[in-house]
Amino acid sequence: MIAALALVLGVVLGLIFRPTVPTWIEPYLPIAVVAALDAVFGGVRARLDGIFDAKVFVVSFISNVLVAALIVFLGDKLGVGGQLSTAVVVVLGIRIFGNAAAIRRLVFKA
Amino acid sequence: MTTPRPQAEHDERNLASARLLVDLVQNTLDPGYAAAAKRRGPDRRVRWYERPMAAFGALLIGFLLVVAYLHTNRGAPEAQRVHDRLVDRVRAAENNANGLAKNLAGVQETLAAAQGAALPSSGALARELSGARLSAGETPVTGPGLVVTLSEPPAPSPTPDPGRAGSVPITQSHILSDRDVRSVVNELWADGAEAIAVNGIRLTPTSAIRFAGEAVLVDFQPVTSPYRIEAIGDAGGLATNFAQSSVASRYQTKMGAQHIGFSFRNEDHLDLPGSTVITPRFASPVPTTTRGSR
Repeated sequence: MIAALALVLGVVLGLIFRPTVPTWIEPYLPIAVVAALDAVFGGVRARLDGIFDAKVFVVSFISNVLVAALIVFLGDKLGVGGQLSTAVVVVLGIRIFGNAAAIRRLVFKA
Repeated sequence: MTTPRPQAEHDERNLASARLLVDLVQNTLDPGYAAAAKRRGPDRRVRWYERPMAAFGALLIGFLLVVAYLHTNRGAPEAQRVHDRLVDRVRAAENNANGLAKNLAGVQETLAAAQGAALPSSGALARELSGARLSAGETPVTGPGLVVTLSEPPAPSPTPDPGRAGSVPITQSHILSDRDVRSVVNELWADGAEAIAVNGIRLTPTSAIRFAGEAVLVDFQPVTSPYRIEAIGDAGGLATNFAQSSVASRYQTKMGAQHIGFSFRNEDHLDLPGSTVITPRFASPVPTTTRGSR
């Protein structure tokens, strides 16, 4: 409940401050978004499973963003940035879909 | 290789990679949650830092999502603005050109009226002037004449085997060039044409027929195949002279050999426009200091 309120608060803060994204962060933004969505769905599912853990939630989110950014960074330096971004998006996308399906099963029992 | 062991190892390795994929699809939840739950044991005690931490994480995620959204949508209006500005400039330039054309028509009318008032309407001078203006291609003319049509051969159907798909040898698709148009025009002048237009562009004594890339330029205006060359003159004489000329026989040959389109026929009534590009090369307007035209 508090987490949902905090999510809304984060959105409102973003709308109020409208921060400009520095150019060097720009390539990592899409990856960070996918990692964030993965963390949200994973957290909701864990909550419904009754095993939610705040530490795991925050640490997994931050580490996912950092690792994804690192992979893209390395890929950019080695000339395979686009492909590695695709790999990250595919893996995290599969997880998001799986978690969304699990949430659906838990909520609607269907 | 005789023992079954390497085979089993191979299978094991194959299985491992397959298991990785199955694992990826089936165990979508971060294993950290299960590990944490196991570590904690059955007694569910919420520690003091858990709620603020979860709230902090959620806040971070919401902030990140909205920043990404804003960042993505901030760029789009900029591109749209640039596009709109370009469209505005094109519209303005078009309006300007239309206004200038209208202005030109008005000025020409005034000029014609002034000439009509100032010059004698008959007599030797008037005849000389009208003849000169006709030769200069300045006035629209009408009369009987000859129409010569030159056209590129129909586009060859793509053959399956040679070269890349859709590639057509340039010599096949573009046989005609400025030289062909020019030789027909010159032949028509020689046969006694009084006024000639190519695809509706009136030729003047200073007109140039040139070639740029794949386009024939007549007075710097591009024209494309088919080239319709209209010549006003004594229709019978023009046709006879042209039919007997070497130019006509050359294109008859080319028509058979290279399948270009070539035909000419008499017309009782041809309308040729006046030339639009009469650029004084040496004359310049007298600077009017009284009105301050600058």
